Amino acid sequence: MPEMTLVQTLLIAFIQAILIIVFVFVAVPLTIFSERKVLGFVQQRLGSTRVAGRLGGITGLMNRGMWWMGKIPIVHYFRGLPGLVGDIFKLFIKEDVKPAKADRLVYLIAPAISMVAAMMVYAVVSFYPGVLFTIPSWVPIIGGLPVAGAMADVNVGILILLGIASVGVYGIVLGAWASNSKYPLLGGLRSAAQMVSYEVPLTLSLLVPVILAGSLSFGEMTRGVATGSSPWAIPSLVFGFFVYMTCGYAEVNRLPFDMPEAENELVAGFHTEYSGMRFGLFYLAEYINMSVVAAIASAFFFGGPWLLPFGLQSFVPEACWWIGQPHWYIYVAKIFFFLFVFIWVRGSWPRYRYDQIMAVAWKYLIPLALVNLVVAGLVRYFA
Amino acid sequence: MFKSQEMEINMGPQHPSTHGVLRLKLRLDGETVKYCYPVIGYLHRGIEKICENKAFFQGQVWTDRLDYCSAISNNLGWAEAVEKLFGITVPRRAQYLRTMLNELNRLNSHLVWLATHAMDIGALTVFLYCFRDREKILDIFEAFCGSRLTTTAMRIGGLLEDVPEGFDKMVKDALHAVRTGLVEYETLLSENRIWLKRTVGVAKLNADDCMAYGITGPMLRAAGIAYDIRKAHPYAAYGEMQFDVPTRPEADTYARYLVRLEEMRQSVRIIEQCLEGLPEGPVMAKIPKVLKSEVGEVYHPTEAPKGEIGFYLVSEKGGANPYRFHVRAPGFFNAQAIPLMVQDSLVADVIATIGTLDIVLGEIDR
Amino acid sequence: MSHVHDPKAAPNRKINLPKTAPVPSPGAHAADVKATQAAEEAKWQKTLADYEIARANAISEGKEPPKPPVRHAVKADAHDMRWPVPVEAQDPDLHRLRELLGGAVEECFEQAGELVCQVKKEAILDALTICNQDVALRYEMLADMTATHYPGGWGFNFSIVYHLTCIRRRKRLRLRILILEGFEPESATQVYPGANWLEREIYDMLGVRFANHPDMTRILCSEEWEGHPLRKDYPAVGLGQRDIDCREDRSGVLTRKTMEAAGHLGINLKPLKAE
Repeated sequence: MPEMTLVQTLLIAFIQAILIIVFVFVAVPLTIFSERKVLGFVQQRLGSTRVAGRLGGITGLMNRGMWWMGKIPIVHYFRGLPGLVGDIFKLFIKEDVKPAKADRLVYLIAPAISMVAAMMVYAVVSFYPGVLFTIPSWVPIIGGLPVAGAMADVNVGILILLGIASVGVYGIVLGAWASNSKYPLLGGLRSAAQMVSYEVPLTLSLLVPVILAGSLSFGEMTRGVATGSSPWAIPSLVFGFFVYMTCGYAEVNRLPFDMPEAENELVAGFHTEYSGMRFGLFYLAEYINMSVVAAIASAFFFGGPWLLPFGLQSFVPEACWWIGQPHWYIYVAKIFFFLFVFIWVRGSWPRYRYDQIMAVAWKYLIPLALVNLVVAGLVRYFA
Repeated sequence: MFKSQEMEINMGPQHPSTHGVLRLKLRLDGETVKYCYPVIGYLHRGIEKICENKAFFQGQVWTDRLDYCSAISNNLGWAEAVEKLFGITVPRRAQYLRTMLNELNRLNSHLVWLATHAMDIGALTVFLYCFRDREKILDIFEAFCGSRLTTTAMRIGGLLEDVPEGFDKMVKDALHAVRTGLVEYETLLSENRIWLKRTVGVAKLNADDCMAYGITGPMLRAAGIAYDIRKAHPYAAYGEMQFDVPTRPEADTYARYLVRLEEMRQSVRIIEQCLEGLPEGPVMAKIPKVLKSEVGEVYHPTEAPKGEIGFYLVSEKGGANPYRFHVRAPGFFNAQAIPLMVQDSLVADVIATIGTLDIVLGEIDR
Repeated sequence: MSHVHDPKAAPNRKINLPKTAPVPSPGAHAADVKATQAAEEAKWQKTLADYEIARANAISEGKEPPKPPVRHAVKADAHDMRWPVPVEAQDPDLHRLRELLGGAVEECFEQAGELVCQVKKEAILDALTICNQDVALRYEMLADMTATHYPGGWGFNFSIVYHLTCIRRRKRLRLRILILEGFEPESATQVYPGANWLEREIYDMLGVRFANHPDMTRILCSEEWEGHPLRKDYPAVGLGQRDIDCREDRSGVLTRKTMEAAGHLGINLKPLKAE
């Protein structure tokens, strides 16, 4: 492979960034829509079947098309889909109300911090080990160059990932504090305590794949865990997976851990005073964070682009048709599966109380994660 | 070096889970409630004054609006109070139908309670399951008296009309739905660890405090006292029904949850007995078109889903409307005990407390 | 403090003051029955006298005399309605209460199966304490407490009733006191803590203050409310539609819409003044 110039590198990174943004902004609205539909299915109702507009405008056009297509049952089920466009459009055009006594600067940048922190994590996520596709040779400047499956598969990927992810809490805390209102303040306090607490077991559980793979790079870890594990590591991985998922739910403030925005207690928690697209940024950041947690869980514990989870892929020879090969769509499918689990859990469980959440983290998850880490270390040492 | 300060916060009157317009002035130390002062009256419509200026039979409409989740129980209490005042004997068929409707209403009210209570604690799905089954009961009300929420089902002296065709089948379908539904709610909640953590030992109120504060109904029964006005002072056709009064000794939120679920089962039992033994005959007593009262005074307690609902009436000689009309609303007493129950608990427990009290501000503020 | 009502300023806010004091008791009932019988007898006597005069007139004019009047027996009631008559106290609880309270008891009777005991207004706290703590009585719960306003000059202005419940013996008892305007009865919160809000409600709705109450403030109405709504001299019709403040309405659209809506609904809205 020839050495790339700076311009070429930047252009390739730009293409990758656009791909990731497209992925995120397709995945997130779809998650929101499927949340409605899946919750509807869980709760024995239809979910959204109407769209925002009636007959006029963009949504109206889509609406008519959907009505026309509505004769086909499968499409009929997705009739609420255009409403999603309306929803996001509504967030953009809504009046942006700022509380009179809010700390303006902090109030304005807090949603951006949340959103940026959530998006930036994707820089180190490796969707596919190796080359995703090659740019056709007729394209000027970058023709014939390969586009990798990861934007920046740096060798300290996991550290960057954890570091950036933990910046996200600042968005919530600052937003809550800057609103100068009491319910958001309570929500912010809760989220500060909760997210900082859950960082610890989350990191400890992620150390298991780090130890097993012997690397900090996202792609290396995925490959190492998926294809190079010993059978003794499987229990440790399974256990680490459950600890990680529990912490992941707490990190993204989803039921049963949705303390910062427990709408039945704190009205809307940290974003009570936000409206319009600023609220929309918090809202999107939550869903992007969900997809990040899903992406990490499926990469490090569920085999990533390989088919089998928990290192079981190690027993499948690489030459074995496509089962032995990595595929980006398997990875994406896994991400969507975990997003589905997020919604499923939301439909099934009540909410914890604040002190109980802290007890879960400090009394159970951290000791368990530590024990698991020691076991993983022993496996690595002896096997 | 650091200054600590208690935070005062208003929970309500606009809050998603104060069940209407209850307002709690809370003083918080972190998340711990140090002081709680309930403020009510945001829904005060002066129903007592209105009823004092309306003829006796017009009280029906207003008693519907007291506790809008259990209109039939209020109606029944009002009708029975006036009947007691005038010494009216109600035909047996009407008694049975009243009992049946009242129990359907109890199911309805308890379903709404479970839905909102579970919703407050974060269980979204139970909410919609309960409303799914409640729909069947509301359909019965609609078939019987044309409206679903504020039914005005009773009349002084009996019922306006007999039940419509196919009523039996509707009731049986609804009972089946509730039975199967109950199994689902239990599956989702009863042994759910988070549900247990959120409800066991939360909002305790022992039997002595319950009695001192006048708290009745499922709250008192969950404190271990088997007091049910349907058994203690039987009215309508309850004297002829076989049913148990469920009690629990724990006096916490979970005990109230279990007691109410068991009450729903007993309601199903009572409705089945009513359907089986429904006597033939008229549904309305022979009473004059316009009631003219003598000098009298009456207090009639009945068992509403939320506790004892009592109507106190004073009548003057030759009066066409009550001289004094007073409602003893169970929620009024329940809400009074909130400070006792939330002292030194967390904000999340305040929500659970409001949920377990099953308050409806329509009857508290009247 | 009391509500001032000017019927000329607002003729739709008229008040129907009661003519009788509906305080049931066996004595009052007996007097009532006696009065009814006497009235009927007087009416019959008048009919007889009229007949005699008419007969004499007819005879003197040589016409056929009218038929003599027939006194109808009281018609058997065709309705399923028997007014419950107050009867003398028979229940052991009432006897026990009379025994313990002695001279403080003014009246004891039963009506429609309810036990009623009227005590002297100064002795209400004693009565409540005895009801709560006496081994034979032991009424654990104050089920309800309310008051009634009697505006006329009947020797009292309010009756306050306490509905007590004995949960163990499934019994209920009504204590009653009659008080004048301005008298402050002892608060029942000292015996039954649950009376707190009930007494606040009585104060709010009827204006009776209670002595030694921990928090004697309004509960249902706001603190600035004028008058006490459940008094009989408080009009049942409100003050009408309030003026709508449209100061924020710069273009005048809201004003126009409000006036249109008001005209449509027939609400009596004043035209808005320019600020």
